[in-house]
Amino acid sequence: MAGTVAPQRQEERQADAGTVPEPDRPWITVVWNDPINLMSYVTHVFMTVFGYPKAKAEKLMLDVHRRGRAVVSSGTRERMELDVTTLHGYGLWATLEQQS
Amino acid sequence: MRVGAGREGAKVRVDAGEAATLVTLLTDLLAALQPDGLDAHDPVRQRLFPDGYRDDPASARAFRDLTESSLGAERTERVRRCLAEVSALGDRPAQVVLDDEAGDRWLRVLADLRLAVGTRLGVTEQTDFHDGDGPDAAARSVYLWLTAVQDALVRALMN
Repeated sequence: MAGTVAPQRQEERQADAGTVPEPDRPWITVVWNDPINLMSYVTHVFMTVFGYPKAKAEKLMLDVHRRGRAVVSSGTRERMELDVTTLHGYGLWATLEQQS
Repeated sequence: MRVGAGREGAKVRVDAGEAATLVTLLTDLLAALQPDGLDAHDPVRQRLFPDGYRDDPASARAFRDLTESSLGAERTERVRRCLAEVSALGDRPAQVVLDDEAGDRWLRVLADLRLAVGTRLGVTEQTDFHDGDGPDAAARSVYLWLTAVQDALVRALMN
């Protein structure tokens, strides 16, 4: 992704973190609804960041808008930290969590 | 500002007043993005640099320590480049063509401007922008203008 710096010192960060991850459950990136970002822009971000086709990007955007949140990607904790960082660089309100 | 889709990218027509408004907004945003620009508890800073973990303060702190300064440096660089471009337009109406790189950068900077202005205004889903009076009237009209520009630009770049 252009212009995005990957988090560094992953191992050290993991050691500092307060949670004890369970290895079998995947991590997910969640985007939360906010009153400012435009629906057209959020769709563009999902297409640009994840390479999703327009229909999928629009569905995710509408999930965020109507349900308040949507899971936009899943994978390792490190990968999800990268996705959240990238989305923060686009001004989206994103967090990661371990799938329940 | 008029935005249209062209073969080489989005075509944007900017008049002198719009360019001057953008210079003011971008200069303010650049100042806010400096390391001592905004207090850690400032809502604009919290919105531009949200927590990466919702219910895990220790992980959120570690994530912030890792990402906030590089995200801030990237934001600053984008704003600097946009400010240089709009400052170079002079005081006559100008047409610029934004390729995918410049278009993406401008979209992100417009998003940051809307987040900063909108957060200061306390924008919610219920905000009624048709109520045009009051001390916030100027900021509200700037916010609505940024909204129209960003929406037109994203549509031009998607085509």
